[in-house]
Amino acid sequence: MKRKNRVGSRIFIGLTFLFLYLPIFLLIIFSFNAGESSAVWQGFSLKWYTALFKNRLIMNSLYTTLLVSLLATAISTVAGTFAAIGLYSLSRRKRDALLVVNDIPMMNADIVTGVSLCLFFVAFFEGWGAFAHWFNTQELSVLGHILHLPDELALGFGTMLLAHITFNIPYVILNVAPKLRQMDKNLVDAAQDLGCTWMQAFGKVILPEIKPGIVSGALIAFTMSIDDFVISYFTAGSSTSTLAMRIYSMTKKRITPEVNAVSTLLFLSVLVLLVLNNVREIRQERRTEQQEIRDPSFFEKLSMKFSHPSYKWVRRGAGAVMACAFIVAVVLLTGATSSRPVVNVCSWGEYIDEDLITQFEDETGIRVNYQTSESNEDLYSLLKIGGADYDVIVPSDYMISQLIEEGMLQELDYSQIPNFDLIDGRFKYLPYDPENKYTVPYAWGTLGIIYNASMVDEEIDSWSALYDDKYAGSVLLINNSRDALGEALLYLGYSVNTTDEAEIREAFSLISDASQRKVFQGKVMDQVFQKMEGGNAAIATYYAGDYLSMLENQADGVDLRYVIPKEGANWFVDAMCVLKDAPHYAEAMEWINFIASTKANLANMDYIGYASPNTQALEDYPSYYEEKYGEELDPELYEIMAAPPEVLERCESYVVLPPATRALYNDLWIELGA
Amino acid sequence: MKNKRSWFTFPYVIWMALFVVIPILIMMVYAFTVVDPDTNIAYASVGNFTRMGVYLSVFLRSFWLALVATVICLLIGYPVAYWMAKEGPRFQRIAMALVMLPMWINFLLRTYSWMSILENNGLLNQLFRTVGLLDLLGVDHLQMIGTSGAVVLGMVYNYLPFMILPIYSVIVKLDGSLIEAARDLGADSARVFSKVIFPLSLPGILSGVTMVFVPSVSTFAISSLLGGGTQGAMLLGDLIETQFKGGAYNPHLGAAVSMVMMVIVVVCMVVMNHFGEGEEQAVML
Repeated sequence: MKRKNRVGSRIFIGLTFLFLYLPIFLLIIFSFNAGESSAVWQGFSLKWYTALFKNRLIMNSLYTTLLVSLLATAISTVAGTFAAIGLYSLSRRKRDALLVVNDIPMMNADIVTGVSLCLFFVAFFEGWGAFAHWFNTQELSVLGHILHLPDELALGFGTMLLAHITFNIPYVILNVAPKLRQMDKNLVDAAQDLGCTWMQAFGKVILPEIKPGIVSGALIAFTMSIDDFVISYFTAGSSTSTLAMRIYSMTKKRITPEVNAVSTLLFLSVLVLLVLNNVREIRQERRTEQQEIRDPSFFEKLSMKFSHPSYKWVRRGAGAVMACAFIVAVVLLTGATSSRPVVNVCSWGEYIDEDLITQFEDETGIRVNYQTSESNEDLYSLLKIGGADYDVIVPSDYMISQLIEEGMLQELDYSQIPNFDLIDGRFKYLPYDPENKYTVPYAWGTLGIIYNASMVDEEIDSWSALYDDKYAGSVLLINNSRDALGEALLYLGYSVNTTDEAEIREAFSLISDASQRKVFQGKVMDQVFQKMEGGNAAIATYYAGDYLSMLENQADGVDLRYVIPKEGANWFVDAMCVLKDAPHYAEAMEWINFIASTKANLANMDYIGYASPNTQALEDYPSYYEEKYGEELDPELYEIMAAPPEVLERCESYVVLPPATRALYNDLWIELGA
Repeated sequence: MKNKRSWFTFPYVIWMALFVVIPILIMMVYAFTVVDPDTNIAYASVGNFTRMGVYLSVFLRSFWLALVATVICLLIGYPVAYWMAKEGPRFQRIAMALVMLPMWINFLLRTYSWMSILENNGLLNQLFRTVGLLDLLGVDHLQMIGTSGAVVLGMVYNYLPFMILPIYSVIVKLDGSLIEAARDLGADSARVFSKVIFPLSLPGILSGVTMVFVPSVSTFAISSLLGGGTQGAMLLGDLIETQFKGGAYNPHLGAAVSMVMMVIVVVCMVVMNHFGEGEEQAVML
């Protein structure tokens, strides 16, 4: 026996495991952190575990994940089993042809499957909408009186379920087929000769024979569904989200340690099951030492599947099933479902005092399904692709005019929104909604430079700092075309609303050159919080309100400042609008009215740091602050929050660009990454 | 007698046609049409493909980084799988479990965890600072986040188990008598490896390579978290995602990019499998 190489090889294996587990240990350790950071240890605490069970967004996404996985598994297991039986009664040539199609979803990259299904659903919805409209307007049809077809369909739980079933069926077939191949076909004939119907023969003969295949097929289907992110992301629409999707949207701003906590719990439960399984097997082994054949362990069975070059199911470990038992328990405990009236709201990250949601729910009994989007452009994509079934959205000025222009908004019923009268006259009848038929302002502010004075040795007062080699690797570029190009246009002395292609291209090459010179550390939206607060970048551009919340959370040694550059900046208004054919119009009016109230505006202003458009709230805020925190509000901070008229004079607001210019913006924007 | 149940396939065939074949055809329709920005009307055109030259660098980068990640996974994964298969059954079982365990933590979270390690002010840089390495080099921090190295690291980290497992499962099933026979015929260890073990583990390598390469080339979350998403970091997955759900809405171009990527990947796989072993269940397109 050669034993000499064992040490070297074991060290190598050990190092590989260290590499695999280091980030996981960190994740677990920081789930016990008293602070919110995932890099700075602030003491031991279990508070994220208690917070987890109260976090409705995470609990709901757990519930969705579980429901879609169970349904998809059940349906695809039955469908796949019968399809496999059918396939085995086809001629070889036909069967092989079908098996090629069967392999497509397994061999394609997830993103291609997701995108193609997304486009398919969207195309189908368009066709259906036209059909339903025609059907509903057919006066003569008798059916039309009884049946009213819904004409607005959107991506949601249903489409995600269809997608999951589709990618699961091939795996079920793949697992059932070998068992059918091994089965003696004469058995079925014999059973039927003896008087069984086919169904009886199926139950008594076929089923017991192929059961192991069905079980492993179902297991794989389930673990695939549980772990899927990409396909769900493209087919689930916007108001349905699985745990993975929830985590993805969190990675875009701040991952709260609750997610670490839920992962730790899942990880530990799987670990415990593994250990128990191992102990049981070792005992069994001892008992049956003399016997040659040992039942292959769960993992060996799984690992055998790896010789098949279908790569995807592998990610989903089978123990996820057990992890799921945990999820079931959690979901049952918290009772995530309810059938109250709902309003679907989409806003920006860190853009509401979440207590307001609870207050609104308590006062009205309406459940708020609160989602966030990253930027106006992202929101627009979501609306266009048909993925959004929101009622209320909170886009910025220029996007509002674009949505109005494209007929995507619905007029508001101001008689239901008495609090609209509390909004300051300065923020009514603005150019984006000249007759003020569609909007109620939510907040306003400026876009400026945020920099870390301890990483920069001068006072920054110009956009030029963004493109300066001096700060190479520590500048964060804002991740939306309108703001990024707007800043460059301002620096060059052009209007942010220019439609002159040459000017826009000049602005673009300014950014693109800087990018090539590696000035930018990255393109960020809400990740900016974590980057700037932790001192990981020196200069960023973001909105005034968010600067204030960064200031509260900045780490030791970080000294954040906000400046409106001398070349001028952008000022914006974000306003609440209702989408055309919103399913919950009345509830949407209630929500808008609630948010427009002085009380809500004060709470929001305090929490998000953006200036309120409510006259009273704007005026009262300094005294509100003093009362709440027992200290005076720094007038400088108040000025950053609510820019005084002389500052606003230097700022330009965006107006909607003509379609050709928008197309140019889009093209340039994706070119930037190339 | 057996043809009686062939109608069982009808629902299946219809389902697959509806949700697999037709979506891909629709994607192709999107790829071959563009929308006039002024009139908002779609018309047939190959414009999406002709302008794709701009994204050549994205294609090259994606395939290059995926290739690098795959090679690194192979270089780490093969020895690990090989040595694991040589250990005793208990070691093997525990090691197998340890390889698969990380997959139960969402990959986004694990990648995010790397982010806090690699940041300019992250754990690794803090460690270097404490040790004095940064002073030694005379820099404030080592730039790790936002580089292609970080992206490759993310890919290797996430997909390494997909390389280890198939190779391991092939090696562990190797017929020991073949190795004995080779030894008896006078082959030394190196020859046994190169003439017997390696060729026989080729099917495992091929499926490992596929399992690492395809998700690496189409990933979009890893690059945006670790690569920063700016120039020199965008991958095909990001390019596609921005046009469907991101800041530059244009599903037609997105569909065209997806289609080209799909074709290249399929061609790569077919060539590789051909080049590898034909008898190994070729389940390629």
